[in-house]
Amino acid sequence: MYRYDEFDAAFVGERVTQFSDQVRRRIAGELTEEQFRPLRLMNGLYLQLHAYMLRIAVPYGTLSARQMRMLAHVARTYDRGYGHFTTRQNIQFNWPKLRDVPAILSDLASVEMHSIQTSGNCVRNVTVDQFAGAAADEIIDPRPVAEIIRQWSSLHPEFIYLPRKFKIAMTGSPNDRAAVKFHDIGLMAQTNREGAVGWAVYVGGGLGRTPMVGKLINGFVAHEHLLAYLESILRVYNRYGRRDNKFKARIKILVHEEGLENFKGQVEQEFAEIRGGVLTLPLEELDRIEAYFAEPDYADHGVVAIDVEREKILDPAFGRFLENNTFPHKRAGYSAVTISLKPIGGAPGDATAEQMEAVADLAERYSFDELRVSHEQNLVLPHVALTDLRAVYDGLAAAGLADANAGEITDMITCPGLDYCALANARSIPIAQDISRRFAAPERAREIGKLKIKISGCINACGHHHVGHIGILGVEKKGTELYQITVGGDGSEDAAVGKILGPGFVADEVPNAIERLVDAYIAERSDPGETFIAAYRRLGDAPFKEALYGNG
Amino acid sequence: MKILTGNELLSGAAVYLDARGNWREALQEARVFGKDEAEALEAAIAATHATGRVISIESEDVQMTEAGIHPLRIRERIRAQGPTAPRFFDRQTLAEDEYVSI
Repeated sequence: MYRYDEFDAAFVGERVTQFSDQVRRRIAGELTEEQFRPLRLMNGLYLQLHAYMLRIAVPYGTLSARQMRMLAHVARTYDRGYGHFTTRQNIQFNWPKLRDVPAILSDLASVEMHSIQTSGNCVRNVTVDQFAGAAADEIIDPRPVAEIIRQWSSLHPEFIYLPRKFKIAMTGSPNDRAAVKFHDIGLMAQTNREGAVGWAVYVGGGLGRTPMVGKLINGFVAHEHLLAYLESILRVYNRYGRRDNKFKARIKILVHEEGLENFKGQVEQEFAEIRGGVLTLPLEELDRIEAYFAEPDYADHGVVAIDVEREKILDPAFGRFLENNTFPHKRAGYSAVTISLKPIGGAPGDATAEQMEAVADLAERYSFDELRVSHEQNLVLPHVALTDLRAVYDGLAAAGLADANAGEITDMITCPGLDYCALANARSIPIAQDISRRFAAPERAREIGKLKIKISGCINACGHHHVGHIGILGVEKKGTELYQITVGGDGSEDAAVGKILGPGFVADEVPNAIERLVDAYIAERSDPGETFIAAYRRLGDAPFKEALYGNG
Repeated sequence: MKILTGNELLSGAAVYLDARGNWREALQEARVFGKDEAEALEAAIAATHATGRVISIESEDVQMTEAGIHPLRIRERIRAQGPTAPRFFDRQTLAEDEYVSI
């Protein structure tokens, strides 16, 4: 894992000191709320419906056991004993008191964590594939380059007041698990004709009120030129992005209004000027950062075969866990394990302090001290020996974390919604809870197969509803919460925005509506191997529209 | 009819202005301002602003029902109750030094 150098440590330490004094002055009445608000937001401290919310960055979703234990400590000492993992691979605490925030940030700094740039119109936490560094299908581990982007974008003087927030996502694998085409910039590892690895750059993707699939602006940018290329994009955006209208201020609108060719022309012109200059990444520096992400000291376990079918007979719950929650690892004899934070009837993404500590213990014992947060609001033990899977499963079960539903219908992304969020128009968590109870039976979930439901409580789309195979968007209409259902969204490399098929439903009707969509899919699929999204692509809207609204 | 609500500075807790000028946790204790009390409402906002101790001050439309004060927006009803899908508890509460008066 990356370790802070003296610059990182000094910069985070200074910020804690500054913010502590700002909090003190606010409480003493020396700063007004108008003066204080931008300062607290710069440090990840929001005000929500019931209390403050502190958002803490988890750079590219990578955590050590020590860091996870500190999050548990924060949850227990300053909050209500739990935290909420988000689609930005970050964690949020929902109940901190203002006076405690300096102490929280100081505790976090002691394990190289912070809340800087988790809010505001700047470059936010870079997100990556949660299996980065572990996945069998990976061309390259994207995290060293993500770390370099973090360093470049942290307090970048030119890009602290962009027209709007800016999100970069990366995948080192051609199978995109990081939704890179729905970010302001998406980077996808590519191999060129000479066999060198670099980055395909997508720009202008996003969700929110104007969902857009990112457009390919450059098919291959070498590592050494990547920062100059990113800087060129940011500079053009910073210059021309619309500051007159908050709803049109994201880069997706600029790219859309200008047209890709025009935008690209501007970027290329900028790039021609700065290419080969101060932002050229020395390959020694890349090597130096890569050393922090060196492969762990894998043991050679020889040939290990796990007979999942046999395990399913012996212990169906464990068999199901093996089937759903393990992911092919690049190293023979190992697996990446998804820890589902989606218990039936639970709040998606929540973990208690005790659960965080249990996960930290398991990471230390069985996963080379490494943990990941996924954008799907789960955790990952990235490097587990196949011979340890049973022990890991038992450890997770003891902590109430052995739900074997990764990738299934009950593994939903859900924003906090109107239960917490000051921007929401409708609740999300109770909808997710109802749906998960409806589809709780393992046999039923297995019959349905891979299906992604994503729920947002407002048009800002934190719950990624546009890219759910089934998406649910909560709106308020005449004092009632109403839920629009979309079908056909896809956050993967086959990026697509879901379509609204008709009028919305009241909360009580949502589980039935989802059930009708699922039944229509099962009735129409060509064979049990055809997934929901594949069936939708083949069949189009008609059968799903009929399932929701009848034949009229 | 309107009530005044905001969040107390130190705790962030949702609070309501009562008839005696105290910011309280209970919605039902809130002072209800009639249509002809716009001036009093503005004065209360200004006085609260001057304390610097209540943030995100908003006036909210309510109606009176048999059960008492009923905010028209769902958002306000949830703010008054706490999360409807709670993990272990209800709303943020005020510590002794977190009560504000104007």
